[in-house]
Amino acid sequence: MRTLKLYLHSMGMLLRAHTQYRASFALQTLAQLVMEGGEMMAVLLVVNRFERLGHWSGGNLLFFFGVMSLTFYLTEFLGRGVTGAFPSMVRSGQLDTLLVRPRGLMTQVLCAEIDPRRIGCLAVGLTALILGSRASGIRWTLPKALALLEAVGLGTLLTLGLFLIECVLCVYTVRSIEMVNALTYGGRSACQYPVDIYPRPLRILFTAVAPYALVLHVPAAWILDKPLWNWPAWTAFVTPLAGPLVFLVMRGAFGVAMRHYRSTGS
Amino acid sequence: MSYITVTDLGKTFTVRKKREKGGPGREKTLVRALSQVSFQVEKGELVGCIGPNGAGKSTTVKILSGILVPDEGSATVDGRVPWKERREHVRRIGVVFGQRTQLWWDVPIIDSFRLLKEIYLVPGPAFEKRLSELTEALELGGLLRTPLRLMSLGQRMRAELCGSLLHSPELLFLDEPTIGLDAPSKLALRDFLRRENREKGTTILLTTHDMEDIAALCPRVMVLGHGRKLYDGALTGLLSRYDTLRIAHVRYADGARPPALPPDCALSREGDTWQILYHPAQTPTAGLLTLLQSAGAIQELTLQGQNVDHLIAAMYEEMAL
Repeated sequence: MRTLKLYLHSMGMLLRAHTQYRASFALQTLAQLVMEGGEMMAVLLVVNRFERLGHWSGGNLLFFFGVMSLTFYLTEFLGRGVTGAFPSMVRSGQLDTLLVRPRGLMTQVLCAEIDPRRIGCLAVGLTALILGSRASGIRWTLPKALALLEAVGLGTLLTLGLFLIECVLCVYTVRSIEMVNALTYGGRSACQYPVDIYPRPLRILFTAVAPYALVLHVPAAWILDKPLWNWPAWTAFVTPLAGPLVFLVMRGAFGVAMRHYRSTGS
Repeated sequence: MSYITVTDLGKTFTVRKKREKGGPGREKTLVRALSQVSFQVEKGELVGCIGPNGAGKSTTVKILSGILVPDEGSATVDGRVPWKERREHVRRIGVVFGQRTQLWWDVPIIDSFRLLKEIYLVPGPAFEKRLSELTEALELGGLLRTPLRLMSLGQRMRAELCGSLLHSPELLFLDEPTIGLDAPSKLALRDFLRRENREKGTTILLTTHDMEDIAALCPRVMVLGHGRKLYDGALTGLLSRYDTLRIAHVRYADGARPPALPPDCALSREGDTWQILYHPAQTPTAGLLTLLQSAGAIQELTLQGQNVDHLIAAMYEEMAL
């Protein structure tokens, strides 16, 4: 409760800080809107050209795209401390200033940055979700709405967990490790599409390593009434738990890494 | 047991360097940032810590404030091990890093202070009371609505101090607090720290390169070099060991020049004033004066000790730092 209060207080203050540079903020938001809009257009093009991909219709693909976008950019919006700011916090020594305060380190890292520019991407994601839902003719019920909420909510934890890999490595190397982007940004790009259109190695990657398939695709496919791999309905509610699992494992690893933290400069 | 007890503290860093051209891979070197450092600090003390760059001052502060985990030895503050009971420990300490900010860059400093209140869970009335105390003492009243990024260095340091004292810590670490400040800011800052120490009983440990800080504030000084403790005691005791040189300036009424002086004296001329460097241990001051008087009527004479910075430089040199 106290943690949530601190988080909200921090976010409010950071939002005010961002609005100090209005022109820059507006332009960057616009740029992101155009970029993410472009990604959506790519999906629309695929749909237009092939009409269906495997057994997925164009509307289905838009729905998957929307779920992924919403999840990923919600994480970047609210968890910027982990998804982007951490390496520079290590380099600049800002991490030291967090360590001398009586709150959990992970809490403070999350409280340290927000990225409101992602609001553009979120708008695109939401649009895709609504359009995809309409085009696929989803009949929304309470369980389906809950499944969607659970998928997106736990999906943000999964995304945070994947970005934490970079944070953990960064504690040791001080430099940011771009390689990890293959899992995070790469995962986002690949898993905009349902996992079963990919060859086996990628399916394994996105099920066992960066389990977007379990967290997002299983419930999304169930919501579309086309359960992935014909798994029963209850899996749509259980497999997303892989998200918090990844998060907890990486959070543990982060704690271990911090014991080897060596700070920088004087 | 003392308030701060440090026993045989050691910390080693592995530094990886790129080899010179053509060499394969990278070279690993071990740097002993601290080795076998021990000391005690009692509650309410004001201790200065000096030493050349890379001496281990910042590493000591970082270990005692719970940021770094040492490789050897032990340290406790008020009975707690800083890196093991980090949260309980840091609740009671304040840390000011001269070179990095702890406040938020783009918002008015009052917003930063209110967020710090939330972080340290300071109760409302206690916070307001402490804030008004500190804004008055640090002359921040007119600046509360100013974002940090628009402040001068001196103003920023005062804001940093205010931020790190809002939760009324028992122990304050200052890492080069006067770095880059102008003279009035330095004086005001020292004045404030002295009062904070005297009136609130706050224990203060400060690292600095500025000997004036030490001379003005710290009855006790620790010298670190190459990760070892080289001296621990009063500043005067430290200086007397190196304070072997005196400087005399003399001007004669009739333009006379000084007589032949003993070989340990160095004579030089600046306009019509003569400067003599001498060692009182070998040439007592009274003897030198008698000699100087024998050459003519002295119109003006000044005697002075060496600048503290020179003494420290001599000391570092002798300790092979």
